[in-house]
Amino acid sequence: MSQPLQQKNTRSLLTWLPLVMLAGSVFFYLILMGHIRHMKHQQLLLKQTNVWKAYSIDPARFPIEIAGEYQITPSATPETQTEDSADLAYLKQTYQLNGKPYTITTYISSKEYHHLLIKVSIAEGIVFILLLVAIVIINRQESRRLWTPFYSTMSAIRAYDIRHSKSLPLDSTTGTEEFDQLNKTLRDLIDHVDQAYRNQKQFTENASHELQTPLAIIRSKVELLIENPGLNEDTAQLLQEITEANERLSQMNKNLLLLTRIDNGQYPETEAVALSPLIERLTHFFREYYENEVAKTTTALQPDVHINANPALIEILINNLLRNAYIHNLPGGWVEIRLSGKELIVRNSGPAVEGDPERLFDRFRKGRVDNRTTGLGLALVRQIAQLYRHDIHYTYQDGVHQLQVIFS
Amino acid sequence: MKLLVVEDEPSLLSSIIRYFREEQFTCEAVSNYTDALQRIEDTPFDCIILDINLPGGSGFQLLKYLREDKKKDGVIIISARNSLDDKITGLDFGADDYLTKPFHLPELSARVKALLRRKYSDGNAVVDLDVLLIDLASRTVTTQGQPVGLSKIEYDLLLFLVTNKNRVVSRQAIAEHLYDGPSDQAPGPEFVYSHIKNLKRKLKERSCPDLIQTVYGLGYKLVV
Repeated sequence: MSQPLQQKNTRSLLTWLPLVMLAGSVFFYLILMGHIRHMKHQQLLLKQTNVWKAYSIDPARFPIEIAGEYQITPSATPETQTEDSADLAYLKQTYQLNGKPYTITTYISSKEYHHLLIKVSIAEGIVFILLLVAIVIINRQESRRLWTPFYSTMSAIRAYDIRHSKSLPLDSTTGTEEFDQLNKTLRDLIDHVDQAYRNQKQFTENASHELQTPLAIIRSKVELLIENPGLNEDTAQLLQEITEANERLSQMNKNLLLLTRIDNGQYPETEAVALSPLIERLTHFFREYYENEVAKTTTALQPDVHINANPALIEILINNLLRNAYIHNLPGGWVEIRLSGKELIVRNSGPAVEGDPERLFDRFRKGRVDNRTTGLGLALVRQIAQLYRHDIHYTYQDGVHQLQVIFS
Repeated sequence: MKLLVVEDEPSLLSSIIRYFREEQFTCEAVSNYTDALQRIEDTPFDCIILDINLPGGSGFQLLKYLREDKKKDGVIIISARNSLDDKITGLDFGADDYLTKPFHLPELSARVKALLRRKYSDGNAVVDLDVLLIDLASRTVTTQGQPVGLSKIEYDLLLFLVTNKNRVVSRQAIAEHLYDGPSDQAPGPEFVYSHIKNLKRKLKERSCPDLIQTVYGLGYKLVV
């Protein structure tokens, strides 16, 4: 699972630093204990040497025992013994005086050392915790500062849209060599992609444009040919099929050219377009043209609805919505057009479309196998709607198709 | 009628010339700017069919030259550039009409004839076919002295066929001619048949002889 960089960094610090510090603490404690034991031993030895020295000078007058300090006892056998408990530590050793053996036991209190050990350990623990917190905080601050160019690069990339953005606004000097390189690499990459995208679009436009001439020639030759007096039913049928295929090709080509031109932003002029007269004019044509197929057309148009757009494009959008409603209809069917200030709705009776309705707007996607359409009509509608940021929705329910354009 | 066709694509040029020669036009063909300029200077034409992209210059320049020289030749621009700007520029420079490539030859022919009609008829534009009388100003049709009530589509259809009389007009050409929406987005020709049927029925009801022939599935021909 991916986590943010900051969190990941902190998490690894919080995992490893305490472990290192714990090991350090144990090591420190052991060393400290070793030193303390050594110190106590040295102190016991020093005390013994001093007691023995004083006793040897004047054995009669030197007290043989001070409780908690030392004890001198004549002993039969020589012995050496040390004991170190939590409260008390002692050292027993045998010395010779005038041929007689004496055992001296010296005592020191362990308590102070023990307390010292605890206090030092606690202080050390506190210092370690403070250190940990400081390291984490400094690390977070610092890495946030260090990664700032990275985050600004990321948001610039996110805002980049190949259709509208010219280039990527990235700093060339971020103060960090790696980020400078990253930005340079990204800029180069985007420049290449942008160039390829532009070439591609230009190619489509040029190709469509160049196709127009041979298509026009074929059309004109067929039109001369159909007047040939030697025409019979068989050749007429062949000519008919050639004509239909050529017309479809021609129509597709025109639509592709139009799509590319919209893509390339070649319709920049906009004005406030009055929708209801436009819809009325187009509806008038379609109603009359399809009068033998579609029985009923109803309109409810709110007057004075204007939208800011290129008039030619808006005409195509509405034209294609209407044409679609009339073509994909049933004999004796109906079309209903409603316009309000916020939306345009075109509804019509018709057979169900096959496949995913969302993909109906894709290029060359058709609801039915139908050689009357190019599969680009609704792609154009979407392209134009997107250009002006209008939402477009399609639904099909109980034999009714509905296309809704919600104005931005 | 004298017609000059300026078009750089030889195959298309020959189609246009052939189509208009059959209409009894006197046609001249040129395929570049210099030749076109030469012909325009030498002779007045009733109509010039002018392509915009020409070797050696632009059709707009020719048009500008023509109008600055106060020449009255009718001009129809044919251009592959389907942009509104080109159309507006062309009409601003004094073109009489504008047609986008690819076009149907009967459409071009109808535009040329409409231009000539506007140019030479002094107001009372009437097409008289003996059995049929079309008043262009009031958009009314009479046969045997009786008016025939036609819808807009039927009237446009009849006028288109009459303009191209004795020629086969394809269903596609008819569909595009009848269409009243943005160019390039016309519906298909499937319903031309039903409008032809309605038109024939209405004419027959007024005792007009059957003039419209069906040429297999290809198109229609109005024979006078």
